[in-house]
Amino acid sequence: MTEAIQNVSQPQIEVENLNLWYGEKQALKNISMQIPKNSVTALIGPSGCGKSTFIRCLNRMNDLVKNCRIEGRVLIEGKDIYGPDVDVVDLRKNVGMVFQKPNPFPMSIYDNIAYGPRIHGVNKKDLDGIVEQALRSAAIWEETSDRLKSPALSLSGGQQQRLCIARTLAVKPRIILFDEPTSALDPISTSRIEELIMNLKKDYTIVIVTHNMQQAARISDYTGFFLMGELIEFGQTRQIFHNPQERSTEDYITGRFG
Amino acid sequence: MFNRIYKEKGIESVLFFVSTLTVAVLFLICLFLFRDGILLFKETSLLDFLTGRFWYPTSVNKQFGLLPLFLGSLLVTAGAILFSVPLGIASAIYISEIAHPKVADFLKPFIEILAGIPSVVFGFFGLVVLVPFMQNTFNLPTGQTALTGSIMLGIMALPTIVTISEDAISSVPSTLRQGSLALGATRWQTIYKVIIPAALSGISAAVMLGVGRAIGETMTLMMVTGNAAIIPSFPGGFLDPVRTMTATIALEMGEVPQGSDHFYALFAVGSVLFIITFLINLIADSIKKKYRFKVD
Repeated sequence: MTEAIQNVSQPQIEVENLNLWYGEKQALKNISMQIPKNSVTALIGPSGCGKSTFIRCLNRMNDLVKNCRIEGRVLIEGKDIYGPDVDVVDLRKNVGMVFQKPNPFPMSIYDNIAYGPRIHGVNKKDLDGIVEQALRSAAIWEETSDRLKSPALSLSGGQQQRLCIARTLAVKPRIILFDEPTSALDPISTSRIEELIMNLKKDYTIVIVTHNMQQAARISDYTGFFLMGELIEFGQTRQIFHNPQERSTEDYITGRFG
Repeated sequence: MFNRIYKEKGIESVLFFVSTLTVAVLFLICLFLFRDGILLFKETSLLDFLTGRFWYPTSVNKQFGLLPLFLGSLLVTAGAILFSVPLGIASAIYISEIAHPKVADFLKPFIEILAGIPSVVFGFFGLVVLVPFMQNTFNLPTGQTALTGSIMLGIMALPTIVTISEDAISSVPSTLRQGSLALGATRWQTIYKVIIPAALSGISAAVMLGVGRAIGETMTLMMVTGNAAIIPSFPGGFLDPVRTMTATIALEMGEVPQGSDHFYALFAVGSVLFIITFLINLIADSIKKKYRFKVD
């Protein structure tokens, strides 16, 4: 009961006045957003609007980009992830990420899933269980259980992407970021991944960047619309799609640009 | 119209001729090498040549035993690989994964320049600097040893190993790097658990090409290894003078009467060298092909 109240009162992710520059160019302008626990939040907007840049701030993947400068605060479970005492390794353990193009490592299916637990020092005898559970949660166990030792690259694109989701789950994060996870996949693989994301919501907080507005409408609880580095509108998905407050949101959703 | 077609055909056939010329030259070299090399076996059996322990080409009882020369080459090359491979791979990792791009851009030309230095210059440097150093450090009668040759050769093989390994490491897709880091791996874990394994075939090809470069090297070794055709002991032989196959050919070819046993023996040594480098390049090439496929 107390926990339920806490969930409502404290969002899982709070972003406050986030600004980001690549060199001289400002890519994100004063973004503030609150993302509740166990929800799916979709970020939409035309190419180059900053939605991918934004999602990469949530697990500090932008640290890899040279000349990238960030101001503002990103609180995850109340803690500023850009604070001085933050261990990026711990952060990324808690905030997993699935990428646009499936990127399995060139090793066996089993080793792909076991990679994360191994580097975090999980006991060897627990690995089999973790691998099976991760593959089951990512709805790919049936297809792979008899070929765990075969190379991950022998899987189809859609299977590879579910493998990458399983790989992320194996580290037991609390938040999963999806950066256009289906844009390289066919419609059938896409619908399987969408179904999977909706199921994962029970246990994880999910933020997904998508080009596909129908996808956002189908799977998300909250939607944020980005345009030229600004968060134009953020709210419940139903409201954004049926009753947008901003003119540009409406124009984008109805397909007048994008 | 016809004119244009003839012109096209003409250019085509010129290019065809030029490119087949390379192959033809290779075949001709092969042919002459083996044709003269084989003549040795009229007098000396192939087995005696391959397993003979003595290289006495000019004494009354002539003996053409390859073993001291072959083992000399092997020892020097093994020593070179032993230190240039770890060093080369470490440099490649530093340049492609760790160094700031500006630092990498600064370092890379120097490594390429190292590859362009003529081997006689390396030999001169070895003779003047390294040979006395070895003599003093290990308190030897002469500083011209297998180890001296290994060190020089290692330095000379480095650019090949570094540039090709660096190429292999850089062509590992950055999505793999990001995937690993996003799982909470450190940069070092990402390098040795994901990037190196993914680049392994390219790195092996680099090592093989480095070996090929080392086995064929002549001038430097002739200047710094002392050229004593004695079967080296192991590992103590590193501090003794040795003679490599390449140095033997270079040293003796000028003074040998054409058509003599000795003349043919040198061609036979050349044939062995040719076969070894050919095999090494073949292996390197097949490894490289495999890795290209994987990266695509």
